[in-house]
Amino acid sequence: MDQKPVIRVEGLTKAFPQAGDPDPAPVFEDIWFTVQRGEFVCLIGHSGCGKTTFLNILAGLERESAGAVIVNSEEIVGPSLSRAVIFQGHALMPWMSVAGNIAFAVKSRWPTWGKAGVREQVQKFVDLVHLTGEEDKKPSQLSGGMKQRVGIARALSIEPEILLMDEPFSALDALTRGSLQEEVLNICARSGQTTLMITHDIDEAILLADKIVLMTNGPKAKICEIVENTLPSERSRQNFHRHPNYYPMRNHLIEFLVNRSKNFAAELADESYDPRHPPIVRPQADNPAGKPLSGADTSLTLDLKKAG
Amino acid sequence: MASSLRVRASLISLIIFGGFLAAWHFAVQASTTGVEAMDPAYAALMGRSATTGASAIPGPGAVAWEIWNHVRDPFYDKGPNDKGLGIQLGYSLARVLIGYAIAVVVAVPLGFLIGMSELVYRALDPFIQVLKPISPLAWMPLALYTLKDSSISSIFVIFICSVWPILLNTSFGVAAVRREWLNVAKTLEVSRLRLMLFVILPAAAPTIMTGMRIAVSIAWLVIVAAEMLVGGTGIGYFVWNEWNNLSITSILVAILSIGLIGMALDQALAWLSKIFAYTE
Amino acid sequence: MSAFDDPFDKDKPLATGCPCGRHASQAAHDADETASTATGDDLLARCVETAVVNQVFGGDLGRRRFLGAFGAGTAAAAISQFFPLDAAKALAAETKGQLEKTKLKVGFVPITCATPIIMAHPMGFYSKFGLDVEVIKTAGWAVSRDKSLSGEYDAAHMLTPMPLAISVGAGSTQVPWTMPAVENINGQAITLHMKHKDKRDPKMWKGFKLAVPFDYSMHNFLLRYYLAEHGIDPDTDVQIRVLPPPEMVANLRAENVDGYLAPDPFNQRAVYDGIGFIHILSKEIWDGHPCCAFAASRQFVVENPNTFLALFKSIISATQYASDKNNRTEIAKAISPRNYLNQPETVVQQVLTGNYADGLGKVQQVPDRIDFNAFPWHSMAVWILTQMKRWGYVKEDIDYAKVAEDVYLATDAQKVMKDMGLTPPAETYEKYTVMGKEFDPREPDAYVKSFAISRVAG
Repeated sequence: MDQKPVIRVEGLTKAFPQAGDPDPAPVFEDIWFTVQRGEFVCLIGHSGCGKTTFLNILAGLERESAGAVIVNSEEIVGPSLSRAVIFQGHALMPWMSVAGNIAFAVKSRWPTWGKAGVREQVQKFVDLVHLTGEEDKKPSQLSGGMKQRVGIARALSIEPEILLMDEPFSALDALTRGSLQEEVLNICARSGQTTLMITHDIDEAILLADKIVLMTNGPKAKICEIVENTLPSERSRQNFHRHPNYYPMRNHLIEFLVNRSKNFAAELADESYDPRHPPIVRPQADNPAGKPLSGADTSLTLDLKKAG
Repeated sequence: MASSLRVRASLISLIIFGGFLAAWHFAVQASTTGVEAMDPAYAALMGRSATTGASAIPGPGAVAWEIWNHVRDPFYDKGPNDKGLGIQLGYSLARVLIGYAIAVVVAVPLGFLIGMSELVYRALDPFIQVLKPISPLAWMPLALYTLKDSSISSIFVIFICSVWPILLNTSFGVAAVRREWLNVAKTLEVSRLRLMLFVILPAAAPTIMTGMRIAVSIAWLVIVAAEMLVGGTGIGYFVWNEWNNLSITSILVAILSIGLIGMALDQALAWLSKIFAYTE
Repeated sequence: MSAFDDPFDKDKPLATGCPCGRHASQAAHDADETASTATGDDLLARCVETAVVNQVFGGDLGRRRFLGAFGAGTAAAAISQFFPLDAAKALAAETKGQLEKTKLKVGFVPITCATPIIMAHPMGFYSKFGLDVEVIKTAGWAVSRDKSLSGEYDAAHMLTPMPLAISVGAGSTQVPWTMPAVENINGQAITLHMKHKDKRDPKMWKGFKLAVPFDYSMHNFLLRYYLAEHGIDPDTDVQIRVLPPPEMVANLRAENVDGYLAPDPFNQRAVYDGIGFIHILSKEIWDGHPCCAFAASRQFVVENPNTFLALFKSIISATQYASDKNNRTEIAKAISPRNYLNQPETVVQQVLTGNYADGLGKVQQVPDRIDFNAFPWHSMAVWILTQMKRWGYVKEDIDYAKVAEDVYLATDAQKVMKDMGLTPPAETYEKYTVMGKEFDPREPDAYVKSFAISRVAG
């Protein structure tokens, strides 16, 4: 039984006005899906499918051309403190220190708090992202990874209902990325933060997400399917790749990214596709040895479950 | 290593300066013209240039001596037409600072408005483009005629000439604030006032400071010209007074002091700029 | 012609320490109140009347029309019906001697013409009449006019045509101005660049660029007169430019101008620096021509009659002291320093004593190269007005006598001089000979039309 979803995306379409074209093709159209409270959802797709635009609409920074985003039964009208954003570039204010950047957010959220209260909140989140001792440094004195951690701390410090992340780790090197992913996994698991994250890193999605939404290529991008993560919720970077369902998940996503995202139009012609109810898939291996998938190998069972 | 570079550079500067002094000295000697013989009674009534053929341009020694004279007693006051170099510079500096302060107070808020609103920008742009290139010496007679008081007119002229760099740089700096910072503020539902004070102002501050630095040099330039036109007390008046007497030596001293003060003003603004600078 | 031709007793102290100038000390003056009241009374009464009448008739034009129609007696009777003139005069008599303002600002341009105004400061002529005057060096004539119009200066050094121009509204807003005293007569010269020392005949000056200090100046009118008499049209055959006197020497050296008719010390300075020579002294064009003036707004005169009187007297005493050739060296020393003329003392001395180097190798002796005579002849004003009309600076018809008498306070000067024990001229009009041609002030229109070269149809 579905609980009342926190986020409901209904028929979302976005078309950018083009000079000389009265009816330009939309970047994405007729997007429908939901996010439950406490869920961690990843959105995967190629560049140009409108993922960032989609996130901006959810954040309230852009307006949709058609459709609606409904948060807690209310259609959103603009940005809100209850939907915090972590940007791809860290977007820290370079003239403020680490503590200053976070405090700016805290003061925006709770303008009546006194200095001590703000400082306490700031410290709590500085400690959370393991930046204790760096509070007075300016962003230019921090490494890329540290800057993004500040971004995370800033977003979380306002205790938002929803966390929106736009490829937050794509600008970082692989090692830093790995450690930050782990931190986010821990933080969100502990706090039950409702999160929507955009990424094109498959492993990241498999590590972090409960649900992975696949978006096809633009223009007229659609949701291809929703992949439920078949790995156990108690997973970590050290061991998740050893789980038998890891490769089925991974291969399925690669298959999507390499082939299906481009050729979805052909698929559409074959099956009946309902944008309101994109298919939900749960790739797993019933083969405990975890044989890697090849294109024609039918020994893999794919449980296709259409939601009612 | 760094200090060696500094030492070597200073040495080269000194050599260039020494060469310049030597060239100056010889140029003055060389421009001495020959003179015909003169009746001694006649010669007694004539000046040095006519009797000895010496150049009217003074040599470095004469200038150095004049500098020393002024520096020795910079604050004497022998009435409204004869005051020490220190007092003259002080009056000019005071006028500059007042006119400049008014320019800052007017230009920064107006620049904000222009930078934040496309409508205001388009509406005001034609006026700015027409008024900007007008020389201070053209404003002076108009100011004197309407404002009547010569000190107030000088201050007005300084204001009208130093306001443009600050205005334009402020509007540019405000308009060019990075979109992502504005987005952060939007997602934090920051009020308009907090946005201006804590995001836009600090973001645009380096550009604004550049405008202010340019403007202070312009203001100092303008005051000298304005005072030469109008008289009163001030370094411009000092130059004009010495010009009356064709005293090139004093004029050179005045020029040197104008340059030094101009440099000091610029350095002061540069130091202030550092406070507002940030690395991205 | 000079008011000071009468023998002047050098042993009698110049400043006697009282405003009317006839007593040995302020105490004696106060004791002799009746005497001083009698001598100063007329002037005082006239000031009061003028003030009241101006208020009633709103200015001289209305007043003159009324007087023209009804006569002075009727006018006085009519006014005293509404304003008790006698009471006003009595009131003024009580406050007589009290200066309305003692701190004054007087502007001057640093040329030798302003000698009486300048020397009165270091040599104590202002303070002897109870005034604390700041003499302020001014950058040029336009600034002097602007600061006078705005009230920043209480009185100022001006060129003799300027009070006339301001009063008729030529070249500025029209404000009634007065010229109580002329500063100097003669004292100018035409100086040419050394390279022209073989071009002494003005007929060879076609195409020259010549400078004058201001449009409304005796220099401009004398230069034009001189050129025209030699057959050169000053508007088409040469270029006449306005340059501030301090810049003239430098421009001459740079050969931006070929010569100028300028006030001293800039003629002598050009000689001193070996750049130019003196071609002709202005006294050889018109001996005794007025040059610079001491001027104040009519408003200042009417609102501060006692202060004005004291100022008037200081200027006249200074002028009269300067007219004595024996004092010239002392004066040169007093006015050369930086806060006054800021010129080498020998240059100023050569101008004031008339013992000077002429730039062509000879030492000349012309004792009245510059002279100081305060009397503001009405006829001088008329001459200036005729030249303004001749060259098109004034286009409408002028009532020459009216303007002259309104602006040049010759009758006041007569009274003040008598007050001070001097003998002013009996008349305020006289004839002049300018370059051999006679000028009759009673026939100004005929004079204007009598010239071959002019902008007015003959």
